[in-house]
Amino acid sequence: MSFDPARVAMEPAFVLHSTPWRETSLIVECFTPHCGRVALVAKGVRRPRSALRGLMQPFQPLLVDWFGQGELRTLKTAEWQGGLPQLSGKALLCGFYLNELLMRLLGRDDPHEALFGIYAQALARLAAAEPLEPVLRAFEVSLLQELGYAPPLEREADSGAPIDPQAQYLFELDRGALRVVVPGGNAVQFLGKTLLDMAQSRYDDPVTLSQSKQLMRLLLGHHLGHQDLHTRRIFQELPLL
Amino acid sequence: MAFHLLQRDREGAGRLAETLSDALETIHHCVQCNNFSETEICDLCATGERDPRLLCVIETPADLLMMELTRAYQGLYFVLMGRLSPLEGIGPHEIGIQKLLERAGDGVTEEVILATNFTAEGEATAHAVGELLRQRGLKVTRIARGVPVGGELEYVDSGTLAQALLERRPASP
Repeated sequence: MSFDPARVAMEPAFVLHSTPWRETSLIVECFTPHCGRVALVAKGVRRPRSALRGLMQPFQPLLVDWFGQGELRTLKTAEWQGGLPQLSGKALLCGFYLNELLMRLLGRDDPHEALFGIYAQALARLAAAEPLEPVLRAFEVSLLQELGYAPPLEREADSGAPIDPQAQYLFELDRGALRVVVPGGNAVQFLGKTLLDMAQSRYDDPVTLSQSKQLMRLLLGHHLGHQDLHTRRIFQELPLL
Repeated sequence: MAFHLLQRDREGAGRLAETLSDALETIHHCVQCNNFSETEICDLCATGERDPRLLCVIETPADLLMMELTRAYQGLYFVLMGRLSPLEGIGPHEIGIQKLLERAGDGVTEEVILATNFTAEGEATAHAVGELLRQRGLKVTRIARGVPVGGELEYVDSGTLAQALLERRPASP
């Protein structure tokens, strides 16, 4: 049986973001495994007695049914799937960060089944109160890999030689890791071990943790263009109050 | 609405325009609670009959009216006039967080009750505000949530029930 994107039933979904629409409705951006990011009109869910009112929240696994053609489909029903504690505290802010990345980098109706699993796993790790930074880094790397912008982390650019964990590297966006031959220079340098650790999703080394943050910022910045992430700005503003 | 008024009720249109323009001119934010007020300090803040040691933080003026309907709260309020909404770019500077920190640091306030909504944005706001207030040595509490009063489990949505289970408390003896 082929998959009909105009009439979908029991599709796993996470709400990424929702905005009020007309008096009582919402436009809900959902992330699903088989259709990627879809925009659904949830009619009447802002009425006080709507059964779906409490369900249209981010970070909660749902099963949704929708119908319709075009970019904006109509939500028919949604079912609570459960099993994931609600995010709270800093983990909640990190959840918004993941959602903003998906909203910005994922086109509508572009399915990435594996990424859906990776996102669900990242949320589960955040909900389980794991250290936040490794979860974010691993998600960022996987996100770029799934979108086809995989940064080559295990081989040197040009020569294709394996990365030397002890060597220093520069990272050029369109080429990859370049071994630093002459020390010095202004460009940010990364230890070979950092790149290898990132390829393996190992973030227990503090050097890896801080360097990977810089590298991912560089790579994401390239794909996000000029407009910086709101969540990142808010993260920076809060401690300054 | 504009077309209807112009065509059928020009007098009403005039009254509406006047009222709106009056409101724009005379209604400001109360310097204490940030709610809309025609005076510098709103009536509620000015009564002197409320407990000044309690400060309840809410998102909107409508939330304040709902809290008052409970007749269960004798303290004062602070209206944020919004909530943090990271994906829409609404950060701490876009809502009244700075003003709240100044208000709560008046030396009289002892406990701040966070009554922002139980949405992801409301929770994020409560967390951020709570952290900032705790750093300033204030006692911070969050309103409880769960099964509604008179609610039957059969009709409660799964999300609420799941959270009520997670946040269960010792049964009163």
